[in-house]
Amino acid sequence: MKSDEASLARLMAMAQTGDRQAYATLLAECRGWLRSYYSRRVPPNMLEDLVQETLLALHQKLATWDSSRAFLPWLAAIARYRWVDQLRRIYRRKEDELPEALTSPAEEEAVAARISLESLFAQLPEKQANAIKLVKIEGLSVAEASELTGQSESLIKVNIHRGIRKMSAMIEKA
Amino acid sequence: MARNTESLIAELVDGLEPVNPLRLRQGIAVTLGALALTVGSVFLLAGIRPDVSSALAQPVFLLATGLFLVLGLAASVTVVMMARPQVGSNHSGWVWAAIMVALLPAAAAVMVLIGGDAALARSTPAHGLNCLLAASGLAALSFAGLTWWLRRGAPTSPESAGLVTGIAAGSFGIFAYSFHCTYSDIVHIGLWHSAVVVTCALVGRLTVPHLIRW
Repeated sequence: MKSDEASLARLMAMAQTGDRQAYATLLAECRGWLRSYYSRRVPPNMLEDLVQETLLALHQKLATWDSSRAFLPWLAAIARYRWVDQLRRIYRRKEDELPEALTSPAEEEAVAARISLESLFAQLPEKQANAIKLVKIEGLSVAEASELTGQSESLIKVNIHRGIRKMSAMIEKA
Repeated sequence: MARNTESLIAELVDGLEPVNPLRLRQGIAVTLGALALTVGSVFLLAGIRPDVSSALAQPVFLLATGLFLVLGLAASVTVVMMARPQVGSNHSGWVWAAIMVALLPAAAAVMVLIGGDAALARSTPAHGLNCLLAASGLAALSFAGLTWWLRRGAPTSPESAGLVTGIAAGSFGIFAYSFHCTYSDIVHIGLWHSAVVVTCALVGRLTVPHLIRW
């Protein structure tokens, strides 16, 4: 089954009435969608944890979706919230470079582009986005990021802090 | 998380219970209910000003209470919407109402600048402090209602939600208390009644995020 908006919305509406079969299908579809959604902004070894956290949040906040509204922008808001929260919580992780397959841009439809993590990330000034990308996503130390970018270590920290704060204030911005 | 995603999904499916989706109209009902309780509390506990019929004929009273009501409604509807996450939502509508209400302290400041001490005395500080405390207390009703609503929801910006909750609650609190306060002077209203909204906004910004984070 293809994870399109209409099918997911229908499954969600059924899940809200207690239909477990529909819910199982919905969660499996959401899992695939979330993996793809996070793939370019989360180190591979943290991807599944974040997907699980988001599925758990989806379960806890099931009642906050209204069938009169689109499903994917709702899921994307929850996914962005969990992602920014993860960035905030995890200060430093050493990760390998992201595999090329995960970093290459894919064709996205207009709606998918608006709700993507990229569009949220793109709202940041370049220095803030760069600091977050190097330290929080690619796992460099603050010192390494400082050396690579020419920014002082304290400036890297300030840019990370300001960038995450800015993103957390505009989770729902398309 | 050490468990695999398949087993997590199986657990979540097993734990599924039917849910009642959060509807906009339910949230608005909570808001209006809190407003009605707030106004009712003033009528029952403090009593309405004896000259309310003549106060209703005063432009400053009408404009100020009307503006606080509009700000309270705009901010509380925003809070209700913030409980339902959606990329593409815009929660900035209340800002325009806040800018309009900001004209009240701005007008009071102009009056004080022009009139000096005499104008400042019209702010009646002792009574103003009473307005600030009583209306902030009344704001607790809307504050509790909106915070409860947010806890049921999934606000993605707890800080903003807290700030707007405080603004909504403070606006409703001072709107209701205006029917008891016997001062309709722009300096008194601009300084002390506006201070209720600012105080509640600060309290909301500082306390609500801790209560609604998920």
